[in-house]
Amino acid sequence: MRKRSFNLHKIIEKRDLTPSTFVLRMERNGLEFVAGQHIQVGPPNGIHTREYSIYSAPGDKDLEILVREVETGLVTPALKKLKPEDGVVINDAVGYFTLPGDLAEEQPLLFVASGTGISPFHSFVKDRPALNYRLLHGVRYASEAYEREDYAEGRYVACTSQDAGGDFKGRVTDYLRQNPVNPDTLCYLCGNCDMIHEVFDILEEQGVKSDNIFTEVYF
Amino acid sequence: MRVAFKTLGCRLNQYETDALAAQFREQGYEVSEQEEGADVVVVNTCTVTNQSNQKSRHVISHAGKVNPTAKMVITGCMTESHADQLHQKFPGATIINNQAKSGIFQSVDALLKTGNPVLSNKDFDLFSYQSFTEMFHTRSLVKIQDGCDNFCTFCIIPFVRGRAVSRPANQVLQNVREVVAKGAKEIVLTGVNISRYDHQGLKFSGLLDQILNVEGDFRVRISSIEPDRFDDHFFSLVGHPKLAPHLHLCLQSGSDRILLQMRRMYTVSEFMSIVDRVRARDPRFNFTTDVIVGFPGETEEEFEETMDVARRVGFGHMHIFKYSVRKNTRAERMPHHIPDAVKTDRSQRMHALAEELKAAYRAPFDQTEQRVLVEKWADGKASGYNDYYVPMVFDSDNKKRNRFEQVVARVQDFEE
Ligand SMILES: Cc1cc2nc3c(=O)[nH]c(=O)nc-3n(C[C@H](O)[C@H](O)[C@H](O)COP(=O)(O)OP(=O)(O)OC[C@H]3O[C@@H](n4cnc5c(N)ncnc54)[C@H](O)[C@@H]3O)c2cc1C
Ligand code: SF4
Repeated sequence: MRKRSFNLHKIIEKRDLTPSTFVLRMERNGLEFVAGQHIQVGPPNGIHTREYSIYSAPGDKDLEILVREVETGLVTPALKKLKPEDGVVINDAVGYFTLPGDLAEEQPLLFVASGTGISPFHSFVKDRPALNYRLLHGVRYASEAYEREDYAEGRYVACTSQDAGGDFKGRVTDYLRQNPVNPDTLCYLCGNCDMIHEVFDILEEQGVKSDNIFTEVYF
Repeated sequence: MRVAFKTLGCRLNQYETDALAAQFREQGYEVSEQEEGADVVVVNTCTVTNQSNQKSRHVISHAGKVNPTAKMVITGCMTESHADQLHQKFPGATIINNQAKSGIFQSVDALLKTGNPVLSNKDFDLFSYQSFTEMFHTRSLVKIQDGCDNFCTFCIIPFVRGRAVSRPANQVLQNVREVVAKGAKEIVLTGVNISRYDHQGLKFSGLLDQILNVEGDFRVRISSIEPDRFDDHFFSLVGHPKLAPHLHLCLQSGSDRILLQMRRMYTVSEFMSIVDRVRARDPRFNFTTDVIVGFPGETEEEFEETMDVARRVGFGHMHIFKYSVRKNTRAERMPHHIPDAVKTDRSQRMHALAEELKAAYRAPFDQTEQRVLVEKWADGKASGYNDYYVPMVFDSDNKKRNRFEQVVARVQDFEE
């Protein structure tokens, strides 16, 4: 039996994107994964770990995760305190929230994320820049449009619910109702459970078959 | 020398016990399920719910009381999740984890001969169990897969059984041929998450197709399966004369929101579509299932949605679990845990419905001609399961077990 074994990975860099959200760049140490998979990560001296989608691409030298601090949480406040040269424990990548290997280049894709749920899509796009995708990112403020420059021109839509600084003022669900998708789109939804639940229903109403909708629930 | 086996939990544990027992018997040991008179008691534990932990501990303590001189060997999933606790509570016992389980014969043999168990992983893997027929069960279990990477939020199995691994198809087929040659009439495909079977691109349906094409007079039963990987190939196999028309298809909840919270990988409509496509080929096809009631945040309406799905499917049998916290799972950390009284109430209502549905499903089989695989004979009555997994009974002078009989039979314990 291959159990998930935890290994220590050194932190190379911590990039603060907002006061509560940051990217941890860590040594890869040979960890293999497919874009969209997740790992469990925890502070080196604790027994607790949490799941994080991998933010970087399989071809990258280092490993990255995108983390938002949950102030009342156990693991994220501890991760936030870590600095370069500190270590984190990480185990094997697992999960099925991945793109089909035989995807046709022109296949339309819809990625819908709330908050840090953008992480697996960042990995998808970095891994396969030629994808024909549209990425809807639900956040409160435009300042949470994490590293939007990493997405090709016109493919990224920040849906901001609390300010008008994004590309669309409102929630991703509002955007989708106003901009229906083609029923042959492959749809990937990631982040908050309530958002995913609502978007799933909207997509089905718009004629997308549930077989073509994939979900990754964070909380 | 006599070895007693005590088994808790799932079909996979049963399979592993049966295979180990077969190996002991082949090596000249007496094997039994009774601890009295045994030199060694092997307890194959389960940790899937808190109740399973309690039961496992109880079985170990009880065996120790009944037969204090026997050497105690503990294996199974509790040795992964509660190793320290077991060491403390049963200091004299030999504890063998899941990885080393298939090497238990060597350990126990050494324990009895030298007083020291040899605990080595080197020659054993998850699939190095020998094939067997008729150990403690008439059905021959065949392991095709181990481990799970789904990480449903309530479940501890991925932590104790490890990563998903599929047994090479040629090994599975060889195992099937061997047990059929030894006289097995029913083969049950087992694993932790068999719908994820994938060996070098061969998926579950492809493997099943090959198994159904093995020559011989036997039927194949698919044990518990997740409703998330059914392809057209699978549906084309429904109705195959060797495929028992029964699936234990795990529903867990009939609410899409709760299914998402559980991180299950299907929706209610996808579940129903499997049922409908299968029943289009065989309207009497038997679906049995597992459900969890009182998952964190489950509202009364969401519970009713599960009741409603159960009615729509007409399950032939339901395993009902009151949600219980498993440590370090995501569900443990979810808000809005349901008070025990509410869980108990929902469980009772679900049980009442399950009984009603079971009786309704079974009624049409009563006093009809069925093919029954005879498992028991007592007082002029033979009994066993028909192809649909309905327990049947009929008058017979033939005491032989493990034989098919085409016969007009009654549903066991049927009440009109
Ligand atoms: C497959 C998977 C991938 C994930 N990937 C990421 C990722 O890439 N980046 C990331 O930041 N998180 C991700 N998460 C969530 C992450 O695992 C933790 O739940 C989160 O970081 C909180 O951990 P904590 O220990 O600080 O909080 P906990 O002590 O676990 O308590 C958290 C409480 O807050 C709620 N909560 C959890 N996450 C959030 C959130 N983001 N916002 C508000 N409330 C929340 C929970 O429901 C819980 O009640 C992922 C989860 C899963 C299942
Ligand atoms: S599929 Fe879900 S319930 Fe079944 S073993 Fe895997 S994690 Fe547990």
